[in-house]
Amino acid sequence: MDVGRHPNIRLLAYSEVEKVEGELGDFKVTVRKKARYVDESKCTGCGACAEKCPTAISDEYNLGLANAKAIYRYFAQGIPSTYTINTNFCRNFQAGKKCGVCAKVCQAGAIDYKQQDQVLEVEAGAVILATGYELFDARRIPEYGYGRLPNVVTALEFERFLSASGPTHGHVYRPTDLALKESLPELEKSRQKAFKALEKFEKQFEKTSDEFYPLYEAGELKGEDYEKWAEQVRAFRDLDGEVQARKEKVASLESAHRLAFIQCVGSRDIRFNRYCSGFCCMHAIKEAIIAREHDPQAQVYIIGMDIRAVGKGFEEYRNRGAKESHIEYVRSRVAEITEDKDHSPVIWYEDTKERVVKSLPVDLVILSTACEPSPATRILADIIGLEVNDFGFYATDPSQPLDTSRPGIFVCGCAQSPMDIPESVAQASSAAARAAQVLSGSGTLRLAS
Amino acid sequence: MKLSKEQIDYCMECGVCTGSCPISRLIPTFSPRQMIKRALMDLDETVVKGRELWACLTCARCSTRCPVQIDFPEFARIYRGRARKEGNLPQLSHHGTLQAVTALQTRPVRQNRTEWARETGKFASTGDYFFFVGCAPFFDAAIKFGDTSMDTVKSVLKLVNRMGIEPVISDDECCCGHDALWSGDEATFRKLVRKNLDAISGSGAKTVFFSCPEGYATFKHHVPQYFGELPFEVLHITEFLARELPGSGVKFAPASNGDGVVTYQDPCRLGRKAGIYEPPRDLLKLVPGLQIEEMGLNRENAVCCGTSAWMECSNCSKTMQTERLLEALETGAKTLITACPKCRIHLTCAQSNTDLHMDVADLYTFILNRIE
Ligand SMILES: Cc1cc2nc3c(=O)[nH]c(=O)nc-3n(C[C@H](O)[C@H](O)[C@H](O)COP(=O)(O)OP(=O)(O)OC[C@H]3O[C@@H](n4cnc5c(N)ncnc54)[C@H](O)[C@@H]3O)c2cc1C
Ligand code: SF4
Ligand code: SF4
Repeated sequence: MDVGRHPNIRLLAYSEVEKVEGELGDFKVTVRKKARYVDESKCTGCGACAEKCPTAISDEYNLGLANAKAIYRYFAQGIPSTYTINTNFCRNFQAGKKCGVCAKVCQAGAIDYKQQDQVLEVEAGAVILATGYELFDARRIPEYGYGRLPNVVTALEFERFLSASGPTHGHVYRPTDLALKESLPELEKSRQKAFKALEKFEKQFEKTSDEFYPLYEAGELKGEDYEKWAEQVRAFRDLDGEVQARKEKVASLESAHRLAFIQCVGSRDIRFNRYCSGFCCMHAIKEAIIAREHDPQAQVYIIGMDIRAVGKGFEEYRNRGAKESHIEYVRSRVAEITEDKDHSPVIWYEDTKERVVKSLPVDLVILSTACEPSPATRILADIIGLEVNDFGFYATDPSQPLDTSRPGIFVCGCAQSPMDIPESVAQASSAAARAAQVLSGSGTLRLAS
Repeated sequence: MKLSKEQIDYCMECGVCTGSCPISRLIPTFSPRQMIKRALMDLDETVVKGRELWACLTCARCSTRCPVQIDFPEFARIYRGRARKEGNLPQLSHHGTLQAVTALQTRPVRQNRTEWARETGKFASTGDYFFFVGCAPFFDAAIKFGDTSMDTVKSVLKLVNRMGIEPVISDDECCCGHDALWSGDEATFRKLVRKNLDAISGSGAKTVFFSCPEGYATFKHHVPQYFGELPFEVLHITEFLARELPGSGVKFAPASNGDGVVTYQDPCRLGRKAGIYEPPRDLLKLVPGLQIEEMGLNRENAVCCGTSAWMECSNCSKTMQTERLLEALETGAKTLITACPKCRIHLTCAQSNTDLHMDVADLYTFILNRIE
């Protein structure tokens, strides 16, 4: 918000850096501002376009757990609040198709299907990289079953479940239960169709199906048409039964009460990332506490080798989690996850305090996946010519943690190393100050008068 | 690989190994983590003298998951060498018959290892390809489980003949040394390998292929470890067939209703130890209409057939085997297919004492029988 409003900050969202030339004090940065097909200066962010857009797509921000439209805003609080057309799905951009609904409903006249990418050249004295992180792909640990076992999710997906603006409006439902719920309308549609087919017969023969069927079964009505009708009656009854059963099942669904967090997924693991990702212990505790706030019946386990509560107040937070939210901390590293007949995950681990192998059935497993350098980090390192360290983050010197290998180019946040939000924010401010310091030293800093 | 002290020092005592171990689930006192820990605390002697050392299946379920890549099977192997020197010996299965056969093969004995091949197909004494037949002929003589053992190698010979290959099959081949190695008997292993290397080099082969996963894993990993880089390519026959069969013009008859559903047991040596998961499945997929129903625990997560190196067959083995058969039956498959002669023997044996009825079949025979 502050950044969006600041008079000295120009935000180029939905843009990519293509080239960085020059040197400290005099960089020329080539930026491709991608076409949104919506005029940023006109769009008021009212959302009328998305409301009327007929093309539903999977919502990336909600990690595919919900739907968005082909004209969308990545998330509600994003800056700028301008909408963007996803040309992979928008009908106007598909060969042989037409639409134009959004242009019709937009009061501001902001829709511009002919908008082109803009290539801008930005002059800068210094560059700060804040390309952040990406989460470890848990599919790489086959024993945890992510992607195969439906009720094993990542902590990021779980954050969306917990969020009031998320796909389940803050209720924690298991993905299999959600799928069951979502399958109901489709099933009801088939039932309706079967019902319509019955009505046709009923009209033709002027009998209700309930009157007809016993007669047919008794052998009093014979003929091809009656056989077809009878078949339709059976099909309808089957579907009707299925709808009732599924309705009852859906009505009896409860939110997930037994939750287990699995720590260090892809972290502290020579096969993937040797380092500790730093923030996952704390976000697991945070999510566990929130889950318990939403559902006083929730029983949450956090299974890890230790809880790395590094920072002022963190240890207390950990203890509060145990005391007030009844989090059970289990000392182990999970060996594998299997599933029960009803898709409930079963966690196998050695309780290393008791020295026994245990299996723990839960409703939902949440994987605390590792913090890895974002793909952009490597791409920009190549474009700009920067060194990265063994882990793939921008290389910095311990005594100058904000300086990359090229003078005038600085780094902050998870692009430098895994860290939480307060640290990232502190580093961002430090990096800005460091840039100012270096530039004033080289005599090129122009302060706003 | 020798496991250094430093490597063991990496252990975080996380419990992944013990939590993954199928033995630990049945015998609570058996714990790879605690054995590593004892070695770490200079309590080696308790490991060397203990019985647990022999209980490990060396199935690599623990080591492939260990976050610091401690190779527990390798640890067990090395400690078994020490245990053997101190007189701590394993309980041998089948009264040690197979170990005796192995010991005989280290001596200059004349063997007839080609009789079966003469009756089966075409082979040569020199050439580019060497078919390392392995112990099947001995299994056939020593332990009879119906007609299970020889059909594997017979089918492989017929299959490669169909591909136009007349491989070398040698009377001078001997046991690959796998079991000796994993029983801590390095001396026997070395003697056997030397004889085999001579036999192979005498044939002029450029490629040695194996159907037995144990022989393959031994030549792929341990022989180079002890004898340096090998002057020939080591190939598993599933890789070769999966690559060559599809384009060879060989046609398969569609699966009929009766045998249309199968499931596949990943042998530890082929799967986790060599990373060969897809080629056997690709072979099965060549049969039109054949449905492969996976067990819940498959590929990296597959469970061992319950015993290895012809030793320490116990109640624990039987329980594991029965559980595995149950899992296989749950898939709805009528046939459990495996690419390892020992998996097949072990699962067939376990089955004989239960009412779990399922055809435990050999991959190559299954494929061969479906060629039109
Ligand atoms: C599930 C979960 C819960 C968490 N909860 C908390 C919490 O409660 N408290 C806390 O302190 N921390 C929490 N964290 C940690 C927090 O996410 C990080 O500390 C923080 O996001 C790091 O900020 P960053 O700006 O460095 O990186 P990021 O948040 O990754 O931001 C980088 C941004 O750069 C953009 N970008 C990347 N490449 C380019 C490019 N080439 N051009 C333009 N833009 C680009 C990305 O799109 C992204 O928006 C949590 C992490 C996870 C996984
Ligand atoms: S913060 Fe906790 S969960 Fe994350 S890597 Fe470190 S120890 Fe593991
Ligand atoms: S899995 Fe590896 S690190 Fe964990 S306890 Fe076993 S040997 Fe140690």
